[in-house]
Amino acid sequence: MKILSPLDSKEEVEELIQAGANEFFCGLLEEKWHEKYPVISINRRPAGKGHFRSFADLKEAVMMAQDHHVPVYFTVNEHYYIDEQYDLVIDYVKKAVVAGVAGIILADYGFLAILKKMNLPVKLQIGTGGTVFNCQAAKFYQKTGASGITLPRHLTIEEIRRMVERGPGIEFSVFIINSRCVNVDGFCTFEHGLSDQSCFPLYRNACMLPYHISLYPQVSAEERDMGDIIREHRFLERQHIWETVHVDDHPCGACALYEFREIRIHGVKIVGRGNTLERKVKDIQFLRTLIDRLERDNLSLIDFRKSARELYQNTYSRPCRMHMCYYPEVMEMPA
Amino acid sequence: MEQALFVSKVDNLKYFEDTDEFSRLYFGIEFCERLIPDADDLKKVISFVNEKKIDFTLVTPYVTEDGLERVERLLKTLAVLKPGSEVVFNDWGVFQVMDEKYPDLIPVLGRLLNKMKRGPRLMNVLDKIPEESVRYYRSPGITVPKVREFLLKNRINRVEFDNLLQGIDLERTGDEIRKSLYLPFAYITTTRLCLTALCDQPDRVKEVGILPCGHECQRYTFCLKNPIMIANLIRKGNTIFLCNEDIPDNLRMFDRVVIEPEIPI
Repeated sequence: MKILSPLDSKEEVEELIQAGANEFFCGLLEEKWHEKYPVISINRRPAGKGHFRSFADLKEAVMMAQDHHVPVYFTVNEHYYIDEQYDLVIDYVKKAVVAGVAGIILADYGFLAILKKMNLPVKLQIGTGGTVFNCQAAKFYQKTGASGITLPRHLTIEEIRRMVERGPGIEFSVFIINSRCVNVDGFCTFEHGLSDQSCFPLYRNACMLPYHISLYPQVSAEERDMGDIIREHRFLERQHIWETVHVDDHPCGACALYEFREIRIHGVKIVGRGNTLERKVKDIQFLRTLIDRLERDNLSLIDFRKSARELYQNTYSRPCRMHMCYYPEVMEMPA
Repeated sequence: MEQALFVSKVDNLKYFEDTDEFSRLYFGIEFCERLIPDADDLKKVISFVNEKKIDFTLVTPYVTEDGLERVERLLKTLAVLKPGSEVVFNDWGVFQVMDEKYPDLIPVLGRLLNKMKRGPRLMNVLDKIPEESVRYYRSPGITVPKVREFLLKNRINRVEFDNLLQGIDLERTGDEIRKSLYLPFAYITTTRLCLTALCDQPDRVKEVGILPCGHECQRYTFCLKNPIMIANLIRKGNTIFLCNEDIPDNLRMFDRVVIEPEIPI
């Protein structure tokens, strides 16, 4: 089971590989895209940190990683592109291929079909934006040209197990740590990062904004008694949960590594393009320790869960929390 | 222009009473596999459309393996009882099954797979960004000729659209693919971490996950307001919608309007 790590610059390559990364994924932003589309991403990351700045740097990073037999995948994974963007997007892909990337990560069915026809010497992988919730969807993408799929965040371990067992023999990867999106990424049409931090309501993810929430359609005040008001207050409380927490407050699914190894998941993915090198290293080391324990120590499920929870608390100084757990069904099991 | 009525439950066939405006019925669910109707409900609806002599479109959601089995039972029933019907798919797995086993059903690309941006917040920046960016927000992926070619090759010649606040530019989308416009509820985002599930049980306030539910979505709907959103958000079940009743100037570019008398959950 491989650790798939974000990579933002050539300077990070050696340290992330030393920490235990097995594959990299990255994005790149050039000025000519940014001029036309300052708030529209080419790769699901806003302008700013989290991108390579030139294909020359990308090429150097790829060569350094290749020395360690670590492949680099290139993200062009916006949910869709329009006609006038295609010249730029195809140009990106061609330059990335020349730079030596092992594959392209994408989300759009049409883009996949187009790249497949180009017969590029790289793998084509469907990212979480492809919304593969069942084995037949995997089959569709495989038929259209994909050789790997990153599954959506919103699947249980058992749903993943059933899909992989029935699946068409394609590589499946899953998210394991950071940015547990509230909504299904590939079906979410909110646009994040519509400004810089100076305008917080446009900058912050829409799912985490504070909202005034009421029942709809509202019942008039005259029709409600105190009992109604108290009841409403109680069940409205839950509706505010995503504004009281941050979806990137170290969400984690490491307890599920046990099952993912059994299921033969190809790789576990660390979300985090744009994170500091220090945080990336910490995340990789955390997962590397657990995967090594799994492969070396023949732990039982219960012992592994216990070990994962202890390491999580020691590494991130936080307890396990249901709303920050990628696979919260594991919290119902003893550890 | 064809007018269709979209209902997500049998009881809502009542919206068809006393009107002859609609020549097609949409029936089904797009957002939650737990609400997929059973085959008996589908049979009732098929009898209804046969009696009314109108056309029929089955609407299907994104699905796990379990949900796909339930959808397939409906496809099987539909293929026998009403071949030639349309099926709106919002999951490529449903399309794959149709493509392999049900050639007599007509696939329609659902609005969840038409990924144009819908968040009302972007209206705040529309007059501050380059014209290329504005065109992106108003244009669909089917502006790309090779994307249209791919759809047509796969027997998909209709795409579903929400009524976007920023408008929809269909000028470069060709005539081969037909377009439906949903009114007035546009979906914005959906989740399987449903905050409506068990929402009236105070001891479970902190629980968030793919939880069992008692179909609380059929009892409670929430309105979410924030000054930065120029339209209120409506959370019904696991999905957030907006309501846009303004008819777009380019309505003629659509050949079908799909009326939602209620939020279709």
